[in-house]
Amino acid sequence: MINSNSDQVLFSVNDLQGGYGDIQILNGVTIKVPDQSIVTIVGPNGAGKSTILKAIYKIADVTSGSVTLNKNGVITNVLATKPHNLSSIGVGYVPQIENIFPALSIEENLEVGFVNFENNNLETIKDDIYQRYPDLKIKAKDRAGTLSGGQRQMLAMARALMSSPRILLLDEPSAGLAPALVDQLFEELVKINKSGVTILMVEQNARRALAISDYGYVLDMGKNRHEGAGASMVDDPEIVGIYLGKK
Amino acid sequence: MSDLIQYTFNGLVVGSIFAIAAVGISLLYSVLRLVNFAAGDFLTLGAFLTYFLSVTLELNFFFSIVVSMLAGMGISWFLELVLWRNLRRNKAGTLALFLVATGVALMLRPIIQFLFGTETRKFNIDILKTYDFLGARIAHTQLLVLIFASASILVIALFISKARIGKDMRAYANNPGLAAVSGINVDRVVLATWLISGALGSLAGVFQGLVQGQFNNSMGESLLLSFFAAVVLGTIGDAYGALVGGLLLGLFMELSQLSFFFGGVPSNYKPVVAFATLVLVLLFKPEGIFGYRGRKV
Ligand SMILES: Nc1ncnc2c1ncn2[C@@H]1O[C@H](COP(=O)(O)OP(=O)(O)OP(=O)(O)O)[C@@H](O)[C@H]1O
Ligand SMILES: [Mg+2]
Repeated sequence: MINSNSDQVLFSVNDLQGGYGDIQILNGVTIKVPDQSIVTIVGPNGAGKSTILKAIYKIADVTSGSVTLNKNGVITNVLATKPHNLSSIGVGYVPQIENIFPALSIEENLEVGFVNFENNNLETIKDDIYQRYPDLKIKAKDRAGTLSGGQRQMLAMARALMSSPRILLLDEPSAGLAPALVDQLFEELVKINKSGVTILMVEQNARRALAISDYGYVLDMGKNRHEGAGASMVDDPEIVGIYLGKK
Repeated sequence: MSDLIQYTFNGLVVGSIFAIAAVGISLLYSVLRLVNFAAGDFLTLGAFLTYFLSVTLELNFFFSIVVSMLAGMGISWFLELVLWRNLRRNKAGTLALFLVATGVALMLRPIIQFLFGTETRKFNIDILKTYDFLGARIAHTQLLVLIFASASILVIALFISKARIGKDMRAYANNPGLAAVSGINVDRVVLATWLISGALGSLAGVFQGLVQGQFNNSMGESLLLSFFAAVVLGTIGDAYGALVGGLLLGLFMELSQLSFFFGGVPSNYKPVVAFATLVLVLLFKPEGIFGYRGRKV
């Protein structure tokens, strides 16, 4: 369906440094996300995982380094792009917290996520999303603030998908989900990925996330510490010992 | 009975004007956290500019209103560019923004005076023509205002609930951080908010001038308290709430003159009724009629 070339890097973070004002959090982070892949960043609390994504959206400051999107040879300097224009070049983001509009209806949450480009059709995409998330369709007219934690996370993801992203940046998609929902979420992510969406996620649930990932990075103190094929990292005794904890 | 009809009608007329002014104030607050104390003077400006165009220059009345609305939009946008945008960039808080808005009001007043004089004005419309409706006297101008104001309210409500930019505005008001990273064009939202507030200010000013029959350059500021009472009544920052709050307050202020209400409040005490409403709401239902406790405004 999609002409996939897994060697081509779709999205890359290159030697990124930055933080919040004078506080430096990122000390040179490099992440390569091949087209059509799932890449996961793990690491201890406070390592700067969320800060990488926030820097891309100008919520955190960047002092040096670059972020590049390479869509079939069309290269965009992501850091020079206004955050609200990133959706229209194919980058979607689901923040870790406060990732829905509670006062709007579920349907409106989806509609404001829609970005009109490349002949996208709002109704078609909305139908697709409702098919993927039937629970959201049932509650379409309800205020999003009435949703449960799991449903909110679902809505946040669905909202990001409304812009037909080439790559989704997810910050702790499984945070706060009941164990049964965590399984469902990771299955869902694999499906989304299979439909042609590249995924870069930050996850606490490292073992589960790496298991479905093509590639993983361990971040510590704002720096790359380890990297490797996702499944292999789960078996690496050193990484398991230090970063993933005992089973 | 005819009194009840009379005051209910008056209340709807006054309330629909409150609604239009209040929704502009409410949108500005919800999107930009700006308590716009200059809102009243935008009404005055709209009324005087329309007077100038339609009476002094003898241009078509409707055309004059449209030009005044465009002027309100233009001035609002100009102030956004030279003032508000930079204040927000400097992370000015709500109090700072409020003080600057008060300053804008204090500057607008002498400008209006300088441009249009201090005399009392009236539009070139027969204000004496009245209709009889079940014993109530209904002025031609009141009827016109009620019809056009109701239509405007309908358009505003539809715009906010159905138009994409209306949804974007509500989304931004609800969670600005998420709006900025989810593809909502924040610059467009801010622009739309100023344009709407500017246009509605002028429109409400013309309506108010029509209903009063004659007006001077303190018309708008004298209504400011009522507008804010309407905004608070309808839940601060809730646009639909402001529409309903405006209508309710207008009705309440007029009906309070009926004798069953403590023998009837004298009409020159109407601002007191507005103020009492504001205080009572803040005391007993601070979240307003459409709010729910714990809600972030
Ligand atoms: N707005 C902010 N201002 C100042 N420091 C911040 C801010 N946000 C986060 N930090 C600090 O930056 C560091 C990295 O935070 P970040 O949220 O990126 O960590 P994380 O790896 O995502 O951790 P977690 O697993 O807890 O989500 C932390 O020490 C945090 O306290
Ligand atoms: Mg985090």
